[in-house]
Amino acid sequence: MQVFIAQIINGLSLGSIYVLLATGFNLLLLVALIIHFSYPVVVVFSMYIVWVVLNATGNNLLLGILAGVLSSIILNVVSAPIFQKVMKKRGEVDINSTMVVSMGMGFIITDILSHSFNHGFPIAFPENLTGSEPLFRIGLISVQVGQVWSLAIGAIAVSAFFVLLYKTRAGRAFRAIAEDPAGARLVGIPIVKTGIQSYALSGVMGGMSAILIAMLLHSASPGLGDMLAHKVLAVSIVAGLGNLVGGLVVGLALGVIEALIQGYAAGSWSNAIAFVVMLVVILWKPKGLFGIKV
Amino acid sequence: MQNEKTATTAPEGALLKVENLSVSYGHINALKSVSIEVFLGEIVVLIGANGAGKTTLLSSILGITPSQSGTISFDGQRIDKEPVDKIVRKGVCLVPEGRGVFASMTVMDNLLLGAHHNLKNKDKYLKRVFEWFPILEQRKNQVAKTLSGGERQMLAIGRALMSEPKLILVDEPSLGLAPIVVNEIFTILQMLNKEGYTILLSEQNTFKALKVAHRGYVLETGKVTLSGTAQQLLNDPGVKAAYLGA
Repeated sequence: MQVFIAQIINGLSLGSIYVLLATGFNLLLLVALIIHFSYPVVVVFSMYIVWVVLNATGNNLLLGILAGVLSSIILNVVSAPIFQKVMKKRGEVDINSTMVVSMGMGFIITDILSHSFNHGFPIAFPENLTGSEPLFRIGLISVQVGQVWSLAIGAIAVSAFFVLLYKTRAGRAFRAIAEDPAGARLVGIPIVKTGIQSYALSGVMGGMSAILIAMLLHSASPGLGDMLAHKVLAVSIVAGLGNLVGGLVVGLALGVIEALIQGYAAGSWSNAIAFVVMLVVILWKPKGLFGIKV
Repeated sequence: MQNEKTATTAPEGALLKVENLSVSYGHINALKSVSIEVFLGEIVVLIGANGAGKTTLLSSILGITPSQSGTISFDGQRIDKEPVDKIVRKGVCLVPEGRGVFASMTVMDNLLLGAHHNLKNKDKYLKRVFEWFPILEQRKNQVAKTLSGGERQMLAIGRALMSEPKLILVDEPSLGLAPIVVNEIFTILQMLNKEGYTILLSEQNTFKALKVAHRGYVLETGKVTLSGTAQQLLNDPGVKAAYLGA
């Protein structure tokens, strides 16, 4: 029973990161009208920046967190003109071109990470960020401080995002563009400007994810971005592309499934089993569990 | 409503002036050197068959469809190179064909989207819209897809009013509505006009449109072929034969 509870907590904290990443990915899809497959790779880049800043400042947490969030916002907003240029026609999701831009961005970042930081070896985050003492431990399984934090911050961030989406002027414009870009343009919503706001907001969520992943995994490697990118894409498709509530449920579910497999079966097979589960779901519901909303 | 502003109070300059406007989609010339004028306080109707260019003209005025040549001036200023959101800020708005409201958003959200650029005055305009359309106040928390066709048209008009417009472009308001609802919509447009709103209307229901309009233009395959007062057009033999079924 204790193992079960511990793995549920582990799973939810891992899941809350998938949720944050899937939400940022879906926001870009719905409002900026791009498929930013490599959005999680950009997030991992921010993790490296956090690591560099922590090393340079003698583990100053505040500066590290600030650097993570700011770099994520900047990296996202700076990529906006590239995507815009490639998408010739606003108002349509030009899947092919934005996918290629995003994948290219992912390759470049992964290569930079493996050439320019720590000789390509995985980086480890200091204990003052990750927490040294496990909250409790049962055999091989433990619940860390970072896991509880990531669950709490993830929950707050996602709630804040939904409040912003449903209670503010910008959120209303986001939803209007998500539902009907041409109609939103017609009522006078500045499409490009609002799109850039969505890049910035995805940047905020990406930056928070970067910190939370560091707290949860204690380390990062150049390949981490690709692995997360695959999972986030899978979560979004299984939930139904562009479906924010779906992304929330499926993201948490994937985290819990992975944790339970690690807790009760072979941990090293957790990715394979999780993807088999998702494959079955997508065969059963090709448009995702909650339906496509693009 | 006591306002007696009519077409006869034509000021020195037109509120909207379209001159020699040409628009093409690829090789198809949707508009060929079209010129129209709308004066403050008028209801002007664009008459024409499907594909004559009525919707294209309205969407180029709003800046959605780019033009190849010609000019569009509003309130004495060129607007033909401005982006849509700037043109909306200047006081032009469009009630789209097919009642293009945001179906999965609430009535209130739809109205507030109309006021996206002047939310500080939203309460004043909401109050007026709810006076015009009490049904919208009753349904303000419902999502728009639960509304009837007529109610959606009212929502689309209400949303336009939220943007503090001087000129309202209305594209085919009667499309797909029951005759009794069509009458209601035309009455509303007439009342709005008496309150001081200038209206440019595109309509296939020629008879009803000419009954409420001051003036009209006939569009055929992208060209203005005839223009005049509503009465002149109603009496024109060509218009009678082609559009009034007489």
